Amino acid sequence: MLILLASLLLVSVTSLLLGAGDVGPLDAGSVLFGGGSDEARFVVESLRLPRMLVGMAVGMALGVAGSLIQAVARNPLAEPGLLGVSAGSALAVAIALVLGASAATLRVSVAQLGALAGCLFVLLMARVNGVGNDPVRLVLAGAILSGLLGALTSLLLLVDQRSADEIRFWVIGGLAGRRLDDLRAILPSLLFAGALVIMIARPLAALALGERVAVGLGHHPRWIRLLCVVAVAILVGAATAVAGPIAFVGLVVPFVARALAGPDIRRSLWLALPLGPIMILCADILARLLVAPSEMPLGVITALVGAPVLIAVVRAHRLPAL
Amino acid sequence: MPMKTHSLTPPACPMNRDDTAVTPPPGSWRLSWTLGGRDHSMLIERRACFACLGLLAVLLAVCLLSLCLGSVALSPRQALAGLFGHGEPMSVFVVQELRLVRLAAGVATGAAFSLSGCLMQTLARNRLATPGIVGIDNGATAFAVASVVGLGTSLAPPPMALAGAATATAITFALANDVGTRGYRFIVTGIGVGAVFGALTQLLMARVAIDTANAAYPWTVGSLNARDGTALTWLWCGLAIGLLAACYLSRAMRVLRFSDAVAQGLGYRVRGCRYLALVVSVALAALAVAVAGPVGLVGLIGPEIARQLSSHRGISLIASALSGAIIMVASDLVGRLLLAPIEVPVGIVTAIVGSPFLLWILLRPAPRFQS
Repeated sequence: MLILLASLLLVSVTSLLLGAGDVGPLDAGSVLFGGGSDEARFVVESLRLPRMLVGMAVGMALGVAGSLIQAVARNPLAEPGLLGVSAGSALAVAIALVLGASAATLRVSVAQLGALAGCLFVLLMARVNGVGNDPVRLVLAGAILSGLLGALTSLLLLVDQRSADEIRFWVIGGLAGRRLDDLRAILPSLLFAGALVIMIARPLAALALGERVAVGLGHHPRWIRLLCVVAVAILVGAATAVAGPIAFVGLVVPFVARALAGPDIRRSLWLALPLGPIMILCADILARLLVAPSEMPLGVITALVGAPVLIAVVRAHRLPAL
Repeated sequence: MPMKTHSLTPPACPMNRDDTAVTPPPGSWRLSWTLGGRDHSMLIERRACFACLGLLAVLLAVCLLSLCLGSVALSPRQALAGLFGHGEPMSVFVVQELRLVRLAAGVATGAAFSLSGCLMQTLARNRLATPGIVGIDNGATAFAVASVVGLGTSLAPPPMALAGAATATAITFALANDVGTRGYRFIVTGIGVGAVFGALTQLLMARVAIDTANAAYPWTVGSLNARDGTALTWLWCGLAIGLLAACYLSRAMRVLRFSDAVAQGLGYRVRGCRYLALVVSVALAALAVAVAGPVGLVGLIGPEIARQLSSHRGISLIASALSGAIIMVASDLVGRLLLAPIEVPVGIVTAIVGSPFLLWILLRPAPRFQS
């Protein structure tokens, strides 16, 4: 845990120091200690710092959401991006924009509603014909669903050029140009979701032992699942509203957390808190530096890291049961 | 290993040279002819034959519709006149210069995607295993985009697409080596490989100037808008060879559905047939991607329709190709007409139609999953 926190600190300082502009690491470093030129101070304080904070929030939200959804679906492959939850919230935002809403304030709640719809649809699918018992099949259904929702989103963008211009850069996912206002907009819901998570962490750990054990310990599995889904929807919706759909973070983070802390969700959930931001910030630094003057979608980097993890988990001889 | 079919003693009754005495099984015709002093005969299933004819008729009708409709509406008579070069110069221009090339591209890509999908489904014994889903289309796309944005247009997209498809196939099948191709794990492995190649495509697009990126854009969504003459020629040649190979393979493909032991016992060289089918399938998918981009879902729906129409005995390769062409032309038509001044890329239309269908295959009650 200490090592993780230290590396999170390291990564966040690095993300303040490195960037595409003229401000080199040395200039930026002197800003951190209170000196530096005006230009460097502007770049670091009003461009890179908000970006880093937003990245941390998004990373925490996605990492925790990934852990939760894996616990509730009992599936090491479940991931908000793969299962179509992120795509659902993207579609909801696109619909809202086409219907005439343009304010950024509306975005968060709409995205959360879309994420909730996506979650419920996935859980509904999991009940059909024992799809839920077969982790790989559930993921396949989710991937198809997210393809469908993505196609619908692009169709909407074609219909309405105005909204297309507004969200074209949001739809591919990234942290470029995010400000502190964005963070402020999602902070209340993040705190609420955090409270929910603290409430259901213990019952979830019991549920991992089986339905009967959970009932015997005095929990209500249906309520736990429902609350868990609501928490996932709030977290993913908030993250998507700020940074656009970013896949694979919710897959890699719980994977690493389980490898570090074992299968107990009460421990691995805490590890997801630093791990998510570490992954997002690393990916963001790479996205800034790889194509230096311009910028890359964040989702590309996370996909390059995450897809091999997906393949590794699928190929593992016995899928670890959750 | 060559099979000796006549090593047993001949049957006691004299060979019946009169072919008419042999009654074909119900529901099929028997064709027999004499060539070079030897008698040949083959069975044609009536139902498959009717299915192909019906699909051909539908295809012709859809093609005619696609020639007629558009921003300039023509009557069928005008369209036909324009097709053969008489009639008003305007309609001749619209039909011959604009719509005919697009139609040719649509028919060829649809048939190629669908045929390749059918071959791969059969050889992987997995109904979801089509090149679009297991990441082969994405590999071809990544390499085709690389040929446009990286190396200039000097090296044509088709060979690059072939190379990309071959790479993706090698990776996917190598990763599936110990998992086997039958289950869902193969599919998810393929989705992972496809995601990596998709990300690479995005990476390539992000690295170049906006004009070059625009030139490569059609490959990322799947559209018949930017078809390119050379790539289309490549595709038609490939399709001709592919159809010939499909006719050659169709008997073997029937048997490949069973276990390898059964196929070997019936005298087929399983490995050879499988490699040939794989090569044909991958090459067709790659060439079609070079023309239209990844419209992979056609490769899933086409064979499925063909399977519904034909009997369970055969693998309906020709019917698959026909229905794929129908789907492609029809979705292109819908995409052109739906939001009239704007054109919806054909990839989006097929994704919206095809995904619910895919979900249905995955979630439907009967465990008849493997074909």
